[in-house]
Amino acid sequence: MAIRVISFGQLSEITGKIFQAEVQNTDQLAALLRDRYHIPVDIKYMVAVNKKVITNNTLLKADDTVALLPPYSGG
Amino acid sequence: MDEKDQYERYARQVSLPGFGMDGQAKLTNAKVLVIGAGGLGSPVIQYLAAAGVGTIGIADGDKIELSNLHRQLLFTTDDIGESKAMMAADKVRKINPKIICRAFGYHVTNKNAFDLFSGYEIIVDCTDNFTARYLVSDACRLLNKPLVFAAVFQYEGQVAVFNTPDANGEKITYRDLFPEPPSALSAPDCNIAGVLGVLPGLIGIMQATEVIKLITGIGETLAGKLLNYDIRTHGSMILELSASLLAKQLAPVNRKMYEAIDYEWLCGSVDTNAIGKDALHTMLADPLTIAIDVRESDETPEAEFMHIKIPLSIFDTFPEMPEFKNIIVFCQSGTRSVKAAGMLRNKFGNDKQVYHLINGIKGYNSQT
Repeated sequence: MAIRVISFGQLSEITGKIFQAEVQNTDQLAALLRDRYHIPVDIKYMVAVNKKVITNNTLLKADDTVALLPPYSGG
Repeated sequence: MDEKDQYERYARQVSLPGFGMDGQAKLTNAKVLVIGAGGLGSPVIQYLAAAGVGTIGIADGDKIELSNLHRQLLFTTDDIGESKAMMAADKVRKINPKIICRAFGYHVTNKNAFDLFSGYEIIVDCTDNFTARYLVSDACRLLNKPLVFAAVFQYEGQVAVFNTPDANGEKITYRDLFPEPPSALSAPDCNIAGVLGVLPGLIGIMQATEVIKLITGIGETLAGKLLNYDIRTHGSMILELSASLLAKQLAPVNRKMYEAIDYEWLCGSVDTNAIGKDALHTMLADPLTIAIDVRESDETPEAEFMHIKIPLSIFDTFPEMPEFKNIIVFCQSGTRSVKAAGMLRNKFGNDKQVYHLINGIKGYNSQT
C-alpha cells in the first residue's frame, strides 16, 4: 500500500518534495526515513496525517496523505 | 494631531464591515510585545504601528548590520551599527506619533521574560533561534498570554497562534509541536541557509494579521493550527495541531522552575569546550593549535589574531589537518561555532581537541 508523503523545509532537500512510501503506519514511515533516506535521529519533525498532527503511532490507509514538517528557526 | 486627524488616519480600516470604531478602539487599547526586530519583526512592527496598536514594546539586543538590510526594511543604510530596538522605536514614532512605543535593547532570557511580558497582552515571537523560541513559549504558557509565532527557512515560513483556545478549547504551545528542542546542529539559521528578503516580509505580515485578528476578533485565527507557506509555489497547508503529553511533562510548571532552566544548553547552543579571549591567545601560542573562522566569506570584521577561513557551509569538505592537535572555531556571535565544534568532534573523535570562542568576534572585540 503506497502512501503519499509530502515533506517540508530541510527534509524536502533530503527526501524530495513528494514521495511514495510502502508503509502500514507512521512508525514504519519513521523507520523508512532513517533507513532509506538516512535522516539523522537529531532531526526533529512533526507528522500530520490528512493535515492532522499526530503524536502516537497511527495506522495509514491507501488514500492518506502524510506531511512531515521540521521546525524552522529563522526570523 | 487632533481627533479629526486620528479619524482620518484609520478611516480606511474603520469603514471595513465588522471593524468599525469598535475595532479601532480595541487596537488603541491593545498592548503588544514584539520580540526580535529583524526580518519578521520589521513588517510586524511597521504594520502594527500603522494600524494603531496603542502600546508596542520592541525587544532586541542586536545592532543593525549591512547584511540585515535586504530583508529588514524598517532600517536604512544610515542606521548600521545602531541598536535595532531603539532604531525601530524611533521609526514607529515617525509612522504613528500617537501610540506608545517602548524599546528594550537587550535579548529576552528566562531571567527577564516574566517581568518584561507582564506589561503586555499579546507576545509576538519574531526571534531567530530555538533557545529564544522555547523560552518565549514556556513563559507565555505560564503567564497565560497568547503567543503569535512565525519562523522561516530558505523559501518557506510557518505561522501559528499559541496559548489561545482553539475550536476544542485546547491551548496548544510551541512545545506541543516539538516537545524536545532540536539540536542547533540540525537546523541551519539564515546566515548559513540563506533567505530571500521577501519571505520574512510575507510571513511577518501574516503574523501581524494574526495579531490584529486576535485583538479585534475579526475572522478566524490560527489558534491550534500551523500554516506552512512556500513562496516558490505559493503552496500553503494548514495543519491542525494537538496537545502532546510529552510536552506537558517537559515544560516548566512555575516561574521558579522556568528561571532555573538552562535554555541555551537545552537547545544545544552552548558548548562545554568554550574559551574566551585570554585562553584563545594562550592556546594560539602553541604551534599545534589553529583558529578557524567559520563565518561566510563576506562577513566582517576580520579577526585580529592568526586564523584561516573555512565557512560552515562547506564543512563537508573539511581537510584532515594532520599537523594540528587543537582546533578553535569562531564565528560572529558564538552560535555557529557551537555547531561547527559539534561537527568537528563527530569528524575527528578523540584525534583532536575542538574549542569554540564564546560570543564570537563580537565578544572578542568588546573585551579590552
